[in-house]
Amino acid sequence: MPKVTINDTEIEVEKGTTILKAAAQAGYEVPHFCYHPALSIPANCRMCLVEVEGAPDLEPACYSEVSDGMVVKTKSQRVVKAQKAVLEFILLNHPVDCAICDQAGECKLQDYYVAYDAQESRLRAEKNQKVKAFPIGPDVIYDGERCILCTRCIRFCDEITGTNELRLVQRGDSAEIRTFPGKELDNDYSVCTVDICPVGALTQRDFRFKCRVWLLKSTDSICTGCANGCNIHLDHFRNEIQRYKPRYNPEVNDWWMCDEGRLTYKQVHEDRLLHPTSNGVRVNWHGVTETAADKLGDAVADDGADSFGFVISPQASCEDLYLAKQFVEQTLQVDNLYLGGKPDGYEDDFLIKADKNPNRQGVAAVFGGLDQFDDFDQLIDDIESGEITSLYMMETDVPADDETRERFVEAVDQLDLFVLQSMHNGPFAEKAHLALPACSHAESEGTFVNVNGISQPFEKAFEPHGDSLPHWQIFMRFAAAMDTPFSYTFIHQIQDQMFQATEADEPEDVTQTPAE
Amino acid sequence: MGEVNVKKVNRIKPSLWEKSYIPEIIRGLSVTAKHFFGNLSPRESRRQIFTRAYPDEGTDYYPERFRGLHRLMLREDGQVRCVACMCCSTICPADCIHIEAGEHDDPNIEKYPDVFVIDELRCIVCGLCVEACPCDAIRMDTGVHIPPYTERDDAFFERDLLMQLGGLSEAKQGGNTKAAAE
Amino acid sequence: MAEILISLAKIIVIVFVFVMGLASLMTLLGDRKQSARIQNRLGPSRANFFGQSLFGLPHFIADGIKMLLKENIVPAQSNKLLHTIAPALVFMPALIGWAVIPFMDHYCTGTVEVIMPGDGYGVDHYTEVCRGGEWKNYFSIMHMNSGVLFAFAIAAVSVYGAAIAGWASNSKFSLIGGLRSTAQMISYEVAMGLSLAGALVIYGTLNINEMVRMQGHLLGDWLPMWGIVVQPLAFFLFLLAGLAETKRAPFDLPEGESEIVAGYITEYSSMKFAMMQLAEYAATVFIAALVTVVFLGGWQFPFVYADGFRIFDIHTTFGLSEDVWYWVSIFLRIGAMVFKILVLVWLQFMMRWTLPRFRYDQVMTLGWKILLPLSIANLFITALVLTIL
Repeated sequence: MPKVTINDTEIEVEKGTTILKAAAQAGYEVPHFCYHPALSIPANCRMCLVEVEGAPDLEPACYSEVSDGMVVKTKSQRVVKAQKAVLEFILLNHPVDCAICDQAGECKLQDYYVAYDAQESRLRAEKNQKVKAFPIGPDVIYDGERCILCTRCIRFCDEITGTNELRLVQRGDSAEIRTFPGKELDNDYSVCTVDICPVGALTQRDFRFKCRVWLLKSTDSICTGCANGCNIHLDHFRNEIQRYKPRYNPEVNDWWMCDEGRLTYKQVHEDRLLHPTSNGVRVNWHGVTETAADKLGDAVADDGADSFGFVISPQASCEDLYLAKQFVEQTLQVDNLYLGGKPDGYEDDFLIKADKNPNRQGVAAVFGGLDQFDDFDQLIDDIESGEITSLYMMETDVPADDETRERFVEAVDQLDLFVLQSMHNGPFAEKAHLALPACSHAESEGTFVNVNGISQPFEKAFEPHGDSLPHWQIFMRFAAAMDTPFSYTFIHQIQDQMFQATEADEPEDVTQTPAE
Repeated sequence: MGEVNVKKVNRIKPSLWEKSYIPEIIRGLSVTAKHFFGNLSPRESRRQIFTRAYPDEGTDYYPERFRGLHRLMLREDGQVRCVACMCCSTICPADCIHIEAGEHDDPNIEKYPDVFVIDELRCIVCGLCVEACPCDAIRMDTGVHIPPYTERDDAFFERDLLMQLGGLSEAKQGGNTKAAAE
Repeated sequence: MAEILISLAKIIVIVFVFVMGLASLMTLLGDRKQSARIQNRLGPSRANFFGQSLFGLPHFIADGIKMLLKENIVPAQSNKLLHTIAPALVFMPALIGWAVIPFMDHYCTGTVEVIMPGDGYGVDHYTEVCRGGEWKNYFSIMHMNSGVLFAFAIAAVSVYGAAIAGWASNSKFSLIGGLRSTAQMISYEVAMGLSLAGALVIYGTLNINEMVRMQGHLLGDWLPMWGIVVQPLAFFLFLLAGLAETKRAPFDLPEGESEIVAGYITEYSSMKFAMMQLAEYAATVFIAALVTVVFLGGWQFPFVYADGFRIFDIHTTFGLSEDVWYWVSIFLRIGAMVFKILVLVWLQFMMRWTLPRFRYDQVMTLGWKILLPLSIANLFITALVLTIL
């Protein structure tokens, strides 16, 4: 294993390590624009130049591999001079319109200018004019003047998605990123180019001008768009999610996530059921708990457990499901279980999975398999034939096509008791005898198990909207009101017991993110 | 135990006369009484009251850099200078500036404030928004004291109203436009 | 019937016009205007009648209306009955005590004749007797031989109001305030009573009007024998203890804003809050009245007597007939009483805006270790001197 000395720090690294990675291991930052750990290395930005003793010229740290006995200086006079020169060169035609640039605050150019350059512009001539606010794709907008031509986006389309939409056109100071004629950047992962763009040249249409990034608070969470469970940074401001950004997890989603998943945050704020209602009248939790305890108790006692149906949602977290299971088995003592959730959809061979529910594997883990759940069509039949007269439903999603869904919506009218415990109003909230607002994954913490059986925790970003509560807390309230209280107070107590019971692994710590 | 540094404090030992507090109380009473009777005096010169019955009386000595109501500055074509960079609303310690950015039709402007509201009742008149503005778009030099309002809604100053108070700025804006170069 | 009507008239004039008028005016003028002047401010001046601010007087009406219209909030976990009656328990004693405070000597329906020592009637001092008629009690609500005891008994009852208010509110701040007020009032009542005892030993009566009459005596024909002259130490002790009794700065620990919000008043709102506040001001006026009658000669106007102006050997009615002079002396005496009360009230407010609040242990130290021994010593020395003389 080669031994290298980086700025007086001696370090042993594996053969084939680049100077940039070795420096990172030694604790030194080498600034870089074009290098991205997931992409090939073109070494075209020249920002990462370092001095190697014995070499006549400065060498790009991202590309050069270390050799035994190498002595590297990342902060020498020559390097500093080169860094300043490179930054000045990049900033020559940069419009410095940070005031209106969405990247301001998370911009590498901004950060590096402050850290490595911080000198006034010497340019007295007019700057180059290039294309502004050009819609390069349906979700991405390109600003040619801000672009530093690092080609990260081009390499992403070539190497990750393999769709090859982008190319560098023209030469010298008129070079720009463009699509091939007649094409546009419309692959399913196009917004990832925005994430990897070190400056504000590519911006996401949805997030554009929406919120300044320094106002955002970031919470580690999981995308609920499909069963893949991509790890995300849930960026929120004033109790509202502003965007999802992928969070590095080599076992699940690497650096990426799909465009569709990014926009699923809108579901958290749309059509929310905010207050508990009883027969359409707004009530408080205290009142609705008493009513629900009476009605549920009566329904099971009068009509018998066989006529009581319970719809479990694969949208809910494992903690919610674990208490749902206890609520069904111990408090209600019914066994007509049905599985709700969204119907299957589009899938590809990268990240997008057909199962659009984030936690179907979690349902299987908590309930010990999916065999005990009856078909959803069976539920509709049972309601229509009058076998099921009371229904407790988690979430509003129906795993069926539109026609069957319509049928179910109509069938619900025949129920004697319909309790809806959901985040959304859907078509059901106004039909429900009791509508109970549950909160989204952004408003509570919990665990999702993804399609490959990896259990992943997500954290609470902000307080629940309106009067909504996490599913597990609603079950706790009802169970206590029906004289079978659960012995939990905090969610970690549930987690401890749940992981013991299902013998699942506790969620692992996410691998440390390598320098981007 | 480490070394403990001891500092001797010389406590004043009051005499019995001082300890009775009576002379000191009388001294204190004489100070307050002096103010009380002085301020009751019919002669203006003996009164020390500096209360001003604003807004009935108004003031006549605003300093040159007095900060009053906000105003939004204008471009040469009468459009708002503000580019909705949110620097002012970020720095505002009272959180009284609300901006919603919008996409402008003019490609040279690109971003502009679709909604710009200042809650003048919440404003603490610190002037940080003016300091933070990179475009000389917001100023507080109207010389108008923020008036007292009885209705909260009256205190919400919206973009167009703030622009009416505004004027042209001498600073150049638009950076790289051809017009600026000529 | 006439007696009842006269009593009613007296109650209305004294309690509602004088005490309540003074107390509520003081909430405005005394407390807010005076403090404003001391602090070089204008004080309240925004409320007005037809554009006239009238020195801020309309504020007192505006405040009253505001208090009446505000929501009466009773804390959910409080003892509702006690919470409701506590303001009354605080308020009533502050008014009942006025029953025994004389604003003038009894009125003589006949003619007042003055007997001096050496006139052959065997009196030791200047004495007024009523010939051809009788003394009518028109200037105090109740003529009571044990008036001082009554006043003290009533003043002591107001402890209950504060303690009950503090407990019934079910708030920690209120409870602390109530306890502080109880401890403070009980501590200072001892010193107050004992300092008064010295004066009582000298006067030899518990009848307040008799006490005031005796303070009209002249020592050496020129010095009125007011309590402050014969009992100077007791006067200071009584005034201090009285300040502490009214729970006002520098003894406002029961409602120290910076520590316990508003003490036992914290959970009160609306008119109940106003009653608590008014009771405090009424108590201030009451203490001023007590100090006046015991130590400052009550309704005595120096050298003005029912039959003329007397000092040394001079005795003149300034050319007025005896009947006219009698009426002049009545008005002068009522005026003297009111003036003395006002000055004492003013002094109490000056104290309030001059001195910072004590620490609680200092309050207790002052009460038990300084005022109490001094008042006991004062009583002993007075008794000793009287015995020797």
